[in-house]
Amino acid sequence: MKIIHRIQTSLSIQLLGLLLVALLCGVKTFAQDTPPFMLSGRVTDIAKMPIAGATIAVEHTTQGTITDGNGQFSLQVRKGQNLVVSFISYQSQTIAIQSQTPLEIVLKEDVVQLDEAVVVAVGYGTMRKSDLTGAIASVSSEKMKKGIITSSEQLLQGRVAGLTVIQGTGDPAAGSSVRLRGGTSLTASNGPLVVVDGIPGVDMNTVQPSEITSIDVLKDASATAIYGSRGANGVIIVTTNRPKDKGTIEYSGYVAVGKVANHLDLLSANQWRKYVRDNQVANAIDYGGHTDWQKELEQTSITQSHTLAISNSNNNRSYRASVNYLNNEGVIRRTGLERISASLSATNYGLHEKLKIDIGLMGNFDTWKPLDYRIFERMYNLSPVIPVYDLNGEFTQIGGTNYENPVEINTNRTVKNNRYRLLGYTKAELEIVTGLKAVANLSYEYNSLQTNQYIPSNAMLEGQVDKGYGRKSLGDYTNKQLETYLTYDKTIGAHRMNLMAGYSYLDNTYAGFGAERRGFDTDLFSYHNLAAGQDFRAGDVYSYKGQSKLISFFGRANYNLKGKYMATATLRRDGSSRFGANHKWGYFPSASAAWRISDEAFMQSTRGWLNNLKLRVGYGVTGNQDGIGEYRSLAILGAGGASYYDAATGTWKQSYGPTQNPNPDLKWESTAQLNLGIDFSLFNRINGTLEVYQKKTSDLLYTYEVPQPPYLVGTILANVGDLSNKGIELTLNANLYRNNNLSVDMDFTLAHNRQEIEKLSNQTYETEQIYSGSLHSIRGLSNQFSQVIKEGYPVGSFWGPKCAGLTPEYEFILENEGESTYLGNVQPKLTAGLNLDVTYKQFDLGISAYGMFGQKVLNATAMALNDPTRLPAQNVPDDYLKTPISSPITYSDYWIEDASFVRLQTLTLGYQMQAEKLGISKIRVYVTGENLFVLTGYTGIDPEVSIDGLEHPGIDMVNYYPKPRTFSFGLNLTF
Amino acid sequence: MKIKIFASALLALAWSTSCTNLDENLYSQVGSDDYGKTPSEIETIVGRAYSALRGFNDKTSISYPTCEYVFFLNACVSDEACIPTRGTDWFDGGRYQEAEYHTWTPDNSMILSAWRYHFEGIAKINAVIYQVDKSLLEEEAKLIIKAELRGLRAYFYYNLLDLFGNVPIVTNYEDLELPANSTRKEVFEFVEKELTETLPLLPTGKIYGRVTQNVANALLARLYLNSEVFTGIARWQECLDACDRITGYALEPNYFANFATNNESSEENIFVIPYDHKAGTTGNYLHSMTFHYKQKFAFSPKADYPWCGNGICGQPGLYSSFDEGDARKKAMLAGEQTDLATGNVILMDDGNKLDYTEAIIDYQHAVQNEGVRLFKYEVKAGETWERDHDWVLIRYAEIVMMKAECLVHQGNPEAAQPLVAEIRTRAGLDTPAPVDLAFIDQERKREFVFEGLRRTDNIRSGDFFKPWWIKGETPAYRALFPIPQSELDKNIHLTQNPGY
Repeated sequence: MKIIHRIQTSLSIQLLGLLLVALLCGVKTFAQDTPPFMLSGRVTDIAKMPIAGATIAVEHTTQGTITDGNGQFSLQVRKGQNLVVSFISYQSQTIAIQSQTPLEIVLKEDVVQLDEAVVVAVGYGTMRKSDLTGAIASVSSEKMKKGIITSSEQLLQGRVAGLTVIQGTGDPAAGSSVRLRGGTSLTASNGPLVVVDGIPGVDMNTVQPSEITSIDVLKDASATAIYGSRGANGVIIVTTNRPKDKGTIEYSGYVAVGKVANHLDLLSANQWRKYVRDNQVANAIDYGGHTDWQKELEQTSITQSHTLAISNSNNNRSYRASVNYLNNEGVIRRTGLERISASLSATNYGLHEKLKIDIGLMGNFDTWKPLDYRIFERMYNLSPVIPVYDLNGEFTQIGGTNYENPVEINTNRTVKNNRYRLLGYTKAELEIVTGLKAVANLSYEYNSLQTNQYIPSNAMLEGQVDKGYGRKSLGDYTNKQLETYLTYDKTIGAHRMNLMAGYSYLDNTYAGFGAERRGFDTDLFSYHNLAAGQDFRAGDVYSYKGQSKLISFFGRANYNLKGKYMATATLRRDGSSRFGANHKWGYFPSASAAWRISDEAFMQSTRGWLNNLKLRVGYGVTGNQDGIGEYRSLAILGAGGASYYDAATGTWKQSYGPTQNPNPDLKWESTAQLNLGIDFSLFNRINGTLEVYQKKTSDLLYTYEVPQPPYLVGTILANVGDLSNKGIELTLNANLYRNNNLSVDMDFTLAHNRQEIEKLSNQTYETEQIYSGSLHSIRGLSNQFSQVIKEGYPVGSFWGPKCAGLTPEYEFILENEGESTYLGNVQPKLTAGLNLDVTYKQFDLGISAYGMFGQKVLNATAMALNDPTRLPAQNVPDDYLKTPISSPITYSDYWIEDASFVRLQTLTLGYQMQAEKLGISKIRVYVTGENLFVLTGYTGIDPEVSIDGLEHPGIDMVNYYPKPRTFSFGLNLTF
Repeated sequence: MKIKIFASALLALAWSTSCTNLDENLYSQVGSDDYGKTPSEIETIVGRAYSALRGFNDKTSISYPTCEYVFFLNACVSDEACIPTRGTDWFDGGRYQEAEYHTWTPDNSMILSAWRYHFEGIAKINAVIYQVDKSLLEEEAKLIIKAELRGLRAYFYYNLLDLFGNVPIVTNYEDLELPANSTRKEVFEFVEKELTETLPLLPTGKIYGRVTQNVANALLARLYLNSEVFTGIARWQECLDACDRITGYALEPNYFANFATNNESSEENIFVIPYDHKAGTTGNYLHSMTFHYKQKFAFSPKADYPWCGNGICGQPGLYSSFDEGDARKKAMLAGEQTDLATGNVILMDDGNKLDYTEAIIDYQHAVQNEGVRLFKYEVKAGETWERDHDWVLIRYAEIVMMKAECLVHQGNPEAAQPLVAEIRTRAGLDTPAPVDLAFIDQERKREFVFEGLRRTDNIRSGDFFKPWWIKGETPAYRALFPIPQSELDKNIHLTQNPGY
């Protein structure tokens, strides 16, 4: 007991101590009859993974036990008795006892697979779904998005209830925005923490999609609190391939053809001429062209991807190597993403199988040409009667604001960005004694971005002004990380427990430099010889470096009684160098419990149809430290670009001054979350989960305006506000039909989230409302905002005058003299996903759709293009001729549209054949159509508009990169 | 036994890993306590105080003294300039119309720009003074450096006295208490005290772009010239005395030499904000706010001139107030603009000729070519968005004109006449005798057109309150701007100026 007392003195592992007490109390000797012998054995699944918690019962007696964490059991039995081995979602087996030889029992999954059997990564360990107490959703690779994947987040689009993946652009080089259960922060990233093979904080795109076997999404705080100050937006755990088969060679590849799915209908040259003629428009200049500026910038894209993987496995000693080439062209000319990625992983055992070493390396290399997004506005502005090229074959330039030839902008510039991502790790697992394992995971992540740009001296905008402009930069980012922990598994009778405690150290360092020059006498060097530029300016050369550290202690205790009653408690203590001096360390606790009601005796009568019913409840506190950034709490001096003229030497020198107000109270944003969940299985066909949650985020970070002086700088980053998210999520997986030839499976997700800002001010920092959703870049609306952040409303709330309609003269009728009011918000009320998989003999058909409902989008594109001052110089939509709005450009709810939509994401038809004679074990060919249609009432190009950030969330900002509709043909081969 | 091992291992893990050091390592920035120990480091911090003169552009306001919106505010509320609404351009929530009609509210973002420009400068200077105080310099050296910084702070406070009147006086970097207003009289006395006290410690002679005794005397002269407006008590003689203490300057024979791209050689400019785009200076782009979108074809055959936004222009009546023979009339660009490549008059989008007119027929629905353009500083083909000419804050001609005005006030117009004649002769004009206050006021309008002095002059002459062009009468309380609403919201100790 002395030992236990000492453990209790350590706060970070106090919970573990308590559970040890429970463990000791649980030890009691079984009253035994006098059996002839002790039988031992091991229960595993087909993949040889041990099954913990399987029930071993002696038929027709009350005797029995359950398996431990290694699937081991021992039981006193008599010859001739029958053992019944059962475990949820596996077929029960009855084994007659014939000898004392230890039994190797392999349980097969039920014909209809209940996902309770799935092994789920929970962070610092794995658990079977049946044992979970928190809200965790698992997606296996076959359920992920098919077709073209340029950012790994897309794999999950529509797959997880409550996880919103928004692809607000068709640009292959752009990522997606991911949000779980609404955002929890105004300033910080709202993206979940990504953990790859046990390494937290990894860029998800480091992993090739082909190498991902499963993704587990930790949704509630009881699940994510083990990741402490980084867990508030959920955790995505990516598990990569571990070979299980004897040597294979796999090839998979596809070729896809894409076209822009939707255009805006603007006046053609003929329509423009008719309008000018019919209305006798004075001074309309006809340049004689017939130009569809949208078409001039588009192309049919050809995309191809090829993946080759080799792997082998022999007694769990295994390796896998894979390489992928992806060339994804964009539907806007000169855009695209080219990626080469490779990964290697190997596993081996030593010390009589007690030591397991995993070594892995993943790398990829992206190269792309970033698009100058200014082309879109010009593409809409330029009149269709302006030809792309003038009589001399030069790009036509009319001159005027935002009136440069967009084809010229898109053509006359050389840009190329490269990104390298590398992740290497070594993981050692040592079994010290039975059940006690030590794990150490050392990892190194390297991420670098190179940018290159050259704007020749004849290019419009910057090119001519700068007389040639060249730029190169390199930014490096490294994560050095050590994660160590001990786990202890113990089963005593009906009691099963797992304890885990660990320590982690993370050093994140970034550094970079860049150079730029202007004034090139020749454009021949492009960006390869910056010294050729003669115009040197302060700030043309720069470098920087920063660093942050995160140190953590964490622990988890898991207790399971008879597979019916489960409890989990976790605690993490995080210290971050980013936090202010007064809050260097934070505690992040959680507790959760679950009860499998369906195993209770009183539920005997419903077992025929209710195969599983489990109730879960969890509460925890997590954090988000993303919004702080490095050095934000300190009093520092920086250059800030401020040089001064030194009259004594007649030169300019760099000055240094305070760049921020110090804030020693700076800390993480804290999110407390309560989650209630029900897991159920019906008729051996339907698995479902219903989750209800309530999240409250406090200490919300925002940059507050402060009076200056006394403050040094006009703003300060401070923890002030509160924000809440409440929601409900439903997940259904159903096997609708199954026989020998045909099976039909369906997955359905549905989620609702409601966000509200509860507080924005405290005694020190006050703001009534924060204006967001800037309309500044739209002509006539400079310095105007379309949204507010205000107590009682969600982030992204449109705020402006209500429009009652149009007068007969097509003027806006604004209600209440144009007074601003709430006009809806950008967050979807409902998000849904639907996947249907049909297999008939060797054919397979997959259909995936997702939708978002109830969100508003400001169609600023329409607002800008339906301006009465545009014609004849600038083009307008066809609609403008029908509804020729005569009021000057005015922001009101006239331009806010319901952007609810359903998108047919992919439709795949495949055929699989056997070709053993050719030495090929599997051939599958398929065609996939992507983005085949969108059902929506939204009148702009695409209703799926990014809601990230505060600048333009949910605003279609006259620069939407149109999404492609693609058809791909693919081939999978396994040798 | 197993439990013992487990527990011991846990403890070992928890306690042996003493690696819990969370200190932040700075690399490309420096902690403020670690800097400012040596004279050369101090020099770079003092430099930051001067760079604050150029203003800034952040999420809350654009605060450039040369352009958006500090200059715009001063110019548009006066009788020299205006920003007409041109279709969808230059409405911007009505902020320029409010300035034109003298109907501004505490929410006008240009007023916020002006407030923040000055207080940002003051906050930076207070921080620098603090750094100097705790440096390892000799006390003597500290006093001299601090005198220069206090002189510069007095420049900002002088402007605040003129614009807002009752502003808080904050001089202590370490005091984080939210400050309350001081009265306009207190601010006046503070500026006077700071300038008078620091005067003997400031450098003598000319140091380009720095606060010298000459600069402090010029500021004192401005203070006393407007003393009647600021405090109700005229102090003409003190203004004259301050003017007489200024030495070493002369009128440039060529008026426009003061506004050339390389105007650092001017013998006339007393206090300037130096600019050089190569040094990364920002905010000096007034020309791009005035010329038409297609003006670049008139400045360069290759259209090699930065983008222009067709905004601020001369108020009707300004251009014709210059005699034809007035050399200074070229400070405005009027008439048809010719494409240097083709020799043809430039056509606007609507097919009409680009012909700058003095008249603006409908201020709220102005045509693109209405209004003469601000053309005082040199224009060069091929120049960048950030212009290189140094912005003139005080030049010797102002000293001459201040003296003349004081002499008229003292009943000695005969002595004033030759001073005004000095200014007019350079412009190629004769000077009547005697000169009166109204004449001097009109002469100041022409001599200092678009130099940011006109609002103060209009108030001093009283014209500010009378109707002009499309503006009606202005109530007296509008001689001061209101304290910006967002500043009142942030600081409960501030009270609004009377009348608002």
